Amino acid sequence: MLSQYAAELCMLLIEDHFGELFARIFSILQRYERLTLPRLKFYSRLNDKQLRHALAAMIQHHLIYHFTSLEDGNTYYEANPQAAYYLVRSGKILQLVEERLGEYAARVMEAILYLGHASVKELEGRPELRSRKPMAPNGIKHEEEEPQENGMDMEDGPATTNGDHDGEDKPAPFHATLKALASHGYILRVRDAHFQSPADNFLEAQRAVAARSDIKALKGKKQEEAIREKAQELVQERTNGDLTQGLMFNGLPRGVKRKFSNGLANGQRQNRQNGVNGDHAEDEEEEEENEWSEDEDGFDNIPMESGLVVRVNYEKLDVALRNARFVDLAQQDAPSATAEVYACLLRRVEYITPRCRDSEEIPREKEEGEQFSTPISVQTLLEDIDPSLDLTGALGPMDPSQSMNRRGKRPLENGVDDHDDADDDEDEASSGAMRAYLVNQHLGLLSQPPFDLASSVTLSVGPSKWRVGFRGLARKLRHLELERMIESRFGDVALRVVRVLQAKGKLDEKRLQEISLLPFKDLRQTLASMQRGGFVDLQEVPKDAQRQPSKTIFLWYHDADRVCSSILEDTYKAMSRTLQRIKHERELERDFLEKTERSDVKGHEEEYLTEGELERLQRWKNKEALFLAAVARLDDMVAVFRDY
Amino acid sequence: MSRFAGKKGKRGPGAEFTWDTDPGGEPDTAPTPLYPAYVVPYARKISTKEQIAVDKYRQLREAHHEGPYYSVIDASASSAKKGSAARANFDPFTGMPSYSGRYQKKHRTIPKISGVGRDYETRFFPRELWQIIQPNFRPDASLDGYQAQTNAVSNKRGFEDEEDEEDAAAKRRATGGNEDEGDDDQNEGGLLDGDEDALESIADDDFQDDDDEMGGDYDAEQYFDDGGDDYGDDGDGGGGDEEAY
Repeated sequence: MLSQYAAELCMLLIEDHFGELFARIFSILQRYERLTLPRLKFYSRLNDKQLRHALAAMIQHHLIYHFTSLEDGNTYYEANPQAAYYLVRSGKILQLVEERLGEYAARVMEAILYLGHASVKELEGRPELRSRKPMAPNGIKHEEEEPQENGMDMEDGPATTNGDHDGEDKPAPFHATLKALASHGYILRVRDAHFQSPADNFLEAQRAVAARSDIKALKGKKQEEAIREKAQELVQERTNGDLTQGLMFNGLPRGVKRKFSNGLANGQRQNRQNGVNGDHAEDEEEEEENEWSEDEDGFDNIPMESGLVVRVNYEKLDVALRNARFVDLAQQDAPSATAEVYACLLRRVEYITPRCRDSEEIPREKEEGEQFSTPISVQTLLEDIDPSLDLTGALGPMDPSQSMNRRGKRPLENGVDDHDDADDDEDEASSGAMRAYLVNQHLGLLSQPPFDLASSVTLSVGPSKWRVGFRGLARKLRHLELERMIESRFGDVALRVVRVLQAKGKLDEKRLQEISLLPFKDLRQTLASMQRGGFVDLQEVPKDAQRQPSKTIFLWYHDADRVCSSILEDTYKAMSRTLQRIKHERELERDFLEKTERSDVKGHEEEYLTEGELERLQRWKNKEALFLAAVARLDDMVAVFRDY
Repeated sequence: MSRFAGKKGKRGPGAEFTWDTDPGGEPDTAPTPLYPAYVVPYARKISTKEQIAVDKYRQLREAHHEGPYYSVIDASASSAKKGSAARANFDPFTGMPSYSGRYQKKHRTIPKISGVGRDYETRFFPRELWQIIQPNFRPDASLDGYQAQTNAVSNKRGFEDEEDEEDAAAKRRATGGNEDEGDDDQNEGGLLDGDEDALESIADDDFQDDDDEMGGDYDAEQYFDDGGDDYGDDGDGGGGDEEAY
């Protein structure tokens, strides 16, 4: 059951995408929980035809769950708020896929999002996916597009390797792209269980398990436990639509190398050079790709099973988005080369992380154990890092970095490093070791407080490995978000108070004042206003049974869990208000916008609209973009408080 | 006491405009500000990354809007059934169909499921929706479980009130008039309404004396509308409607 504003938000999002009919049905289902068709019809006051068609389409888009009971034969429908909420994230998801896997992959992803779920056969037949050029140019810069397409050409086979560069009529690398998406885990196989709500799945699994003979033999508590455990396993098995198995190649997903050569690296390199040597960079990459395409293209052109039905895997995409967020965090106070090294580490980790966390709810503060990712060795990272990335520039010269080592960070590398100093740049092996050392340095920089973005594990044998403590980092993100909000609302004094309270727990006013070194007046004012905002709270501890105020201790405390959940609600509310505002603004401009949407005007705006109108249209688009970006930012907050 | 006694201590009129006063400053006699100065927070500028994300979002939304599933609850039109909410909200100034209206974007009231060039994975849908996604699916040819289910549904039809039926009729007429969808509705309707027919014949007994038959003889609107006439015989969807227009 969702809160009022979350439900409202889901309803608005569905309305924004699919119109009022779906929104009505969805909100009825949210209000009354699960309903059969006749009951739904009664509450929603829609006719039979509308309802049946709408329900079918909503199931297609996973907006509702359905469950047919074996006992009474009725089919129950239930809202799926998760899927409805993720509509708001679709823009970000597409952007991420485009950044990682190129423009065509983003289009494949968009087609899947547009269709809800779709079989490979159907996707293959979509007209918009047949050609590699987008149907309508949508503001994507051409320079960015070009190298990616070159990359795709390589996949087609050796015959077309160095052919023309604008292969517009060539068939699109559909299967290779789909495989890349699948091996990254961005899409998953649709299973029957995905259409039932998690509770139904669990109950059904429980029933199935309880009927088994070996479970029946058990008694009492043991039986209960066994049922629960086995049922969970069964649900896991039934909902598991993982496609990455068998598509990984040396621990790397399909199509991943292409990404490094021209997606990310090229963009950054061009930025660095301000586009001066752009052409040269491209040439280099082509040579690199030639080497790579040999081992891959044979496999990639084998089409995927055509009956396979796929949908978007939001859980995995959350992991990817979270990692992007961490990279942003690293960029804040580390050099860009360091951030890139970190991005490589995170990407390696991402391939083996199916979801952000295992538990359904975010665990309570301080009760959450740290959970480290699989350690990744520096050697693996070195393979991933763009060889032309300048690792030395951001770090100081050798001697000061050694003095940094002396402070006790990693004594292990010191030995390696000493050798390197002598015969630098002379043979391959030593330059490799040099780079390993530099990568270690970069990651060492990140492992410093305040963020502790990475940590090293030193094994007794072999070089050290690096891992990421996701739970701690997610908590850190939550705290940062809270602190940002407190600072902007109540000022820096409040921020100091909250940090003190967080570090020390519950404090009475006097002690708080001593620690925070603030005048009483400021402190009291801030505390009062923060209490009004719900960010701090007061606990009274009476010394005697009479509870006299003079004999009571008042303790201030800051409960991050509670604050987070109330802020989450506020965020939902803000999002739904923003969406409503868009609707209102749209209503104000309705006549004009309807004109631009006319079937003859659409697509030929320059031809039919006057200059003033074009300008007005642009203004409206900018305004809407502003609102939608605000919603997207709020969604970032929701992600931090709920999903990461 | 003189009426002007109070004025003694006061400076003459216009004193606040002397050269001595600070030109930009507030006059002494100015009222205290009702609202203190307020710093309006400004949002950050949209970054290129965000702009791309927003564009992608709009692109997808646009695709959904153009797609077969986008549907509104009532497209208020003059063809709506009289007395219904749609008719009451009809805007006589802009709502009348005009020549340029044919370019206007049309919103469907029922999502188009079949005939959009997709094949659905039937196994993912509940059985009671199978006829929707597969128009040539015959419920009678299937297992007993399904039969029992439809019976259960039809027995429960006592809930619904008459508005539903009216809406259905209105909707059917509205979509029937729409040239684009007419043929689709027919082939889908003919197969679909097999069971609706049966259901309606059960339901109709209860609503035999509908208000349509009673009043409305003097209603001028009915002249154009051929109001309730086709209500009785439009049981099988679009087919009967085409003749009415």
